[in-house]
Amino acid sequence: MRGKSHPGFDRLGTNGISGSHADNESPKEPFALSLSKGGRFRHGAVFSRFDLIAGLWWLPRALMLGALAFAIFGPLCNLLLWAVAEKWYFPHALPLEYGFSFWGRVFSARGNAWEALGTSVMVAGLTVLASLALAIPAGYALARLKLPFRALILLAFLIPQAFPNLPVYVNVARLFYAIGLNGTVAGVVIVHVTHGLVYAVWIATAAFAAIDRELEEAARAAGASALRAFRDVSLPLAMPGLMASAIFVFLESLDEFTGSFFVGAPDVNTLPLLLYTAGAGGNYQIASISALLLLVPSIAFMLVLEKFLRADVLARIGQ
Amino acid sequence: MKKTLLSLLCLGLFASAAPAAELTVLTAGDQNMVDYVNDYLGPLFEKQNPGTKVRVVGTGPGDAGSQKILERFEAQAKASTAKWDTDVAVVHEKFAGPMVEAAYLASYRGKIASGKLVTRTNAQMALGTKVDGYVMPMFNSQTAIAYNPALIKTPPKSYDEIVAFAQKHPKQFGYNGIKGGASGVSFVMGWIYAYGEGSAEKLMNGPFEPAETQKWGKALKALKAFNANVTLTPGNAGTLDMLARGEIAMGPVWVDMFLSWQRNGQLPPSLKLVLPAPGMPGQPMHYVIPAKSANVALAEKFVALATSPEVQAEGIVKRFNWYPGIDAQHVQKALDKATWDKLFIDVPPADLARYGKPFPIAPYNNAILEAYEREVLN
Amino acid sequence: MPNSLSRHPRLAALALVTPALAMVALFFLLPLLASVVGAFETPEGPGLANFSKAFALYSRDMLFTLAIIGGATLLTGLGAVAIAGYLTLGECPLAVAALRWLYRWPLFIPFIVVGQIARSFLAKNGLMNNALIGAGLLDPLSATGMLDWRGLILAFAWKQIPFVALLVAGAMASLDRGGIEAARNLGASRPRILWEILLPQVAPSLLTALILSFVTMMSVLSVPLMVASQSPTLLTVDIAFRINAYRDYGLANALGMISLAISATVAWFYLRHSLREKR
Repeated sequence: MRGKSHPGFDRLGTNGISGSHADNESPKEPFALSLSKGGRFRHGAVFSRFDLIAGLWWLPRALMLGALAFAIFGPLCNLLLWAVAEKWYFPHALPLEYGFSFWGRVFSARGNAWEALGTSVMVAGLTVLASLALAIPAGYALARLKLPFRALILLAFLIPQAFPNLPVYVNVARLFYAIGLNGTVAGVVIVHVTHGLVYAVWIATAAFAAIDRELEEAARAAGASALRAFRDVSLPLAMPGLMASAIFVFLESLDEFTGSFFVGAPDVNTLPLLLYTAGAGGNYQIASISALLLLVPSIAFMLVLEKFLRADVLARIGQ
Repeated sequence: MKKTLLSLLCLGLFASAAPAAELTVLTAGDQNMVDYVNDYLGPLFEKQNPGTKVRVVGTGPGDAGSQKILERFEAQAKASTAKWDTDVAVVHEKFAGPMVEAAYLASYRGKIASGKLVTRTNAQMALGTKVDGYVMPMFNSQTAIAYNPALIKTPPKSYDEIVAFAQKHPKQFGYNGIKGGASGVSFVMGWIYAYGEGSAEKLMNGPFEPAETQKWGKALKALKAFNANVTLTPGNAGTLDMLARGEIAMGPVWVDMFLSWQRNGQLPPSLKLVLPAPGMPGQPMHYVIPAKSANVALAEKFVALATSPEVQAEGIVKRFNWYPGIDAQHVQKALDKATWDKLFIDVPPADLARYGKPFPIAPYNNAILEAYEREVLN
Repeated sequence: MPNSLSRHPRLAALALVTPALAMVALFFLLPLLASVVGAFETPEGPGLANFSKAFALYSRDMLFTLAIIGGATLLTGLGAVAIAGYLTLGECPLAVAALRWLYRWPLFIPFIVVGQIARSFLAKNGLMNNALIGAGLLDPLSATGMLDWRGLILAFAWKQIPFVALLVAGAMASLDRGGIEAARNLGASRPRILWEILLPQVAPSLLTALILSFVTMMSVLSVPLMVASQSPTLLTVDIAFRINAYRDYGLANALGMISLAISATVAWFYLRHSLREKR
């Protein structure tokens, strides 16, 4: 039982920012370097530890990581530079003048950036809660139970992502005006949930499907009710996958513009509404600053989830 | 976690107590349109009308931004909403006609003081549709060719010279085709005015005759050949972007966008503008008021202020360097000569009058775009 | 899971799926219906005119879309597997930790900003070429811009790799390490372990993530609009153009249906395949 429940936890370990996976594994792998490069030094574990050549094994690895860092942070540097650039044009490779005047514009009293950020986070949080509440039972049923038209049902969840939304939003807005959902937080959340549900349901389905059936059956055999077996066995094991889906749903909601405009504005203003005009119009400074602002809740949400989850799963494993 | 979210939810559900009168403005166009209302017009209006609050929502640049406003009106009309959630909208010329035809708008120009300060035809007709009374121009915008004077000593004075330039300096001219925004569309329309075998006058003023649409074959073929020598840029902003990075030396831009990029430090201050013969289209941005606005009277007051000579002088000309919406002589009176002349540093008033054209009326407009898609893109 | 579950398994399963399904049906499929009907509306009554015009004008863009999104999906898959593989098999804790810290950042950047930074990073005089020239790695004269199909694929992959890698790394970490250790002891190289042991086991997760990626990319407008909106271009640009330039919802909806058909076909193959495997 213990051995079996470990993987679920470990899955998150790899996702974790703090690198607990590597820390866990490293004591078991004191000969870590021995396998690199086609196993030439497979048996040379002992000397590779002391040999100077071992130092050189770093080189390709460091180069690769460097290249990856460039590929990831190069574009992000662009974002950072534009966020503090007052003047930047050819032939200057870097900004001519730095400053924070555009920050002043974003955070001006009438700019409503803080309020919009708050609304965005609230909408995204509610979207995650609603999506998970809908996706967990659905995912469980799709993964575990006999269901007619299973593939079709999965496909149905995909459609809101797959049909380009532009022509549909007029109809959505019309429906929402008719039933009084326009301009409400609930309306925006509903639009975001229909969009994010594909991530939540598909990933929940995959997460439940990956769990060994026997675990739940063992719990049932030991006298646990179906609900209890689900709550104590399947749900914790699926948790890492569910949390990953929560992150995607959160991000999806945080970035959504078109639906938020048609259903939310002008009463419910999310940050992407501020970002969109600047981004699409090429006002790089304002767009970059808004994007940086959006980074804060995204990363915070991810960190919170990881922390909350680790403690939670750990506690269960200890039982 | 859940508690925080729940309290946040409660905050959101109950915190929407509005002030006495709230005026909602939707505006298409770039960030500077939102800034204009937020930084200047909104506070001014609130000061003159204590207790009111102006809030503005940007719907995005280009036709897409105006289209979103139109769709919003459409959704409310189809849902038979009694009071609409928009009081004033700023839309591109192209969308004023459809809005009037669908009877979404209030006819208000006769009711406001500044209404008689507008005599230009583009406030009466919008691409062939009569919009007289329903619109007040916020400002007039013009497309022109931006160029880098360090590389181009003598800027092209006509489309012919642009073609010659592109031949001599491959890929140094850049424009955004027709799918990435109206500055490219405008260049194409100007091309048809210049090289189409029909009458440009008829394209601008109507009437629509299907036979006219058969007269662009040669012009489009030449345009396809021209495209082989130029850089195609991603969007209105894409052209400015490539000019800013020195990847192209010349390209069509919206004058107001060009100036705002320069103000934001995104374009070298040395770049200049020229309006080539036989001309390129420009268009006004219009203030419109939905007939079912919850605050029609307040909305009229807002537009009256926005189109008064003082605001047009101080806000539109002095702060943003836009060409005024109402007739120039009323605005000029409210300004010193130096500020007024700054408007015309690159494009002198005479050129503007001669080469600043309207877009073709809607049916020709669409026909040209479709012909471009068929002949040039395929 | 109530006890009735065991008595009426199908009904119970349906009951569990219904709330989620109802949500999508009510708030998306219903509004979509009007669009679907609209695709078949022509001035002469119901017909296929919109579709034939769509193929006449945009068949090149359809192929281009398929190639770009397919290419981006492929690149995303390769990148994500490489990252996830190293996270699972990497033997240098420091490098693994560094990679884990590194790879997720693009996940948090909205698509519209991805478009903006791709445009100013990949351009001829963009930050990338400037940096490479500054470091002496690139000759200024041979610098070229990548604001075309390459820019599209790179921008999409940049944004989607972390998404897929996150899911695949999770799946890999939950595998039994016994098999990996055994293979290692037998002297298998890490690429081989990745390819022959890890990948087959995480294939369902990988495919799910890739299909979600594919579908997401199919519906993104801002990246093609800001990186390469010229001809040929992606279908989303054409849809936006049909609506904004002509207010031609009929053709836009027809293009939407075609785009949906492409996504649904890809998803369908996968779903059928995964169903067969389950049996």
